[in-house]
Amino acid sequence: MVVRLCGVTKKYGRVEALRGVDLEIPCGQVVGLLGPNGAGKSTLLRILAGMCFPSTGTVEVLGGPPRRHRARIAFLPEPGCLLPWMTPPQVERLARGLFPDFQVQRFRELLEFLEVPARPAGTLSRGERQRLELALITSRNADLYLLDEPLGGVDLVSRRRILQGLIRTWRSEATTIISTHEVHEAEGLFERVVFLNQGRVVLDEMAENLRAQGRSVAETFMEVFS
Amino acid sequence: MHAWETRKKGPVYLQIVDNILHDIARGKLAPDEKLPSVRELAESMGVNPNTVIHAYTELERMGITYTRRGQGTYVRPDVPQDLLRKKFLEAAARKFWAEVEALGLSLAEAVQALEEVVHGGSSVRGDQEIRKS
Repeated sequence: MVVRLCGVTKKYGRVEALRGVDLEIPCGQVVGLLGPNGAGKSTLLRILAGMCFPSTGTVEVLGGPPRRHRARIAFLPEPGCLLPWMTPPQVERLARGLFPDFQVQRFRELLEFLEVPARPAGTLSRGERQRLELALITSRNADLYLLDEPLGGVDLVSRRRILQGLIRTWRSEATTIISTHEVHEAEGLFERVVFLNQGRVVLDEMAENLRAQGRSVAETFMEVFS
Repeated sequence: MHAWETRKKGPVYLQIVDNILHDIARGKLAPDEKLPSVRELAESMGVNPNTVIHAYTELERMGITYTRRGQGTYVRPDVPQDLLRKKFLEAAARKFWAEVEALGLSLAEAVQALEEVVHGGSSVRGDQEIRKS
């Protein structure tokens, strides 16, 4: 198991972001983490990335506490990870210094494929910035990718390009967890979908099983959260 | 194949299998022709590469394709193209007949409609009516 959560609860003051989450994810799975705003998706990803700790319960990532294997985890946080002055070449230089698993060639190819303008991040549109961040994250040879809303708030063309970029860099041995609202476009990508609502896992199913029952992931999403 | 807009119901791998069978039936994929690589097809359809692998495994199990080691997946030279064509025609006919029945029309009327479509449709009748007048 790449990820093992056992009875994980996370409290921010009196607010419970996660309530008793149990989750196991085997190696190589692409998991869609779905749910409305405030469901706990970002909190769950942050815990897996070792950015915060559960209030109760245990977390194991790649066989240990998340922080032990941070070098093998590629995390794309939702507010983004770029400073406004950074141009793609500066991002490349920074990433080479930060991540031993960074693939320069792949990064350059992705910039071209994702059509990222060679301008500072602060001057890019939201879609362009998100594509630059995705190029950065997926140019790492990580064992676990945690992507928080990589499709959020960007136009349709950007969303498709981002998804194609994800498929292009897909490695069968890597595990990926993607939180998203854009269920329709992304649903073909997921092997498994985990629905979170108010801090709890309300549905956890293989995507093809849902479809075999005659429901798309998007339809199930609507049913669960309507 | 573009599954982006038209995500139909049912498992995606079966949709891929169906699309490829259809391409073979229509001659868009010939015997001994190479199928797109897993990643190419996954990317163009926006689906998980594992789903494409699942579909390709199924096609091989059905005796439609074979794998050349390290080279990819190919349509078998002895692929039963005529049988596939018949199957797709049957499926289309069943749909057509369901509509004929729903409209409360007869087989003769259905055949006539089909002939009209094939032979230029309503313009034929229009010509005759003009000649009569």
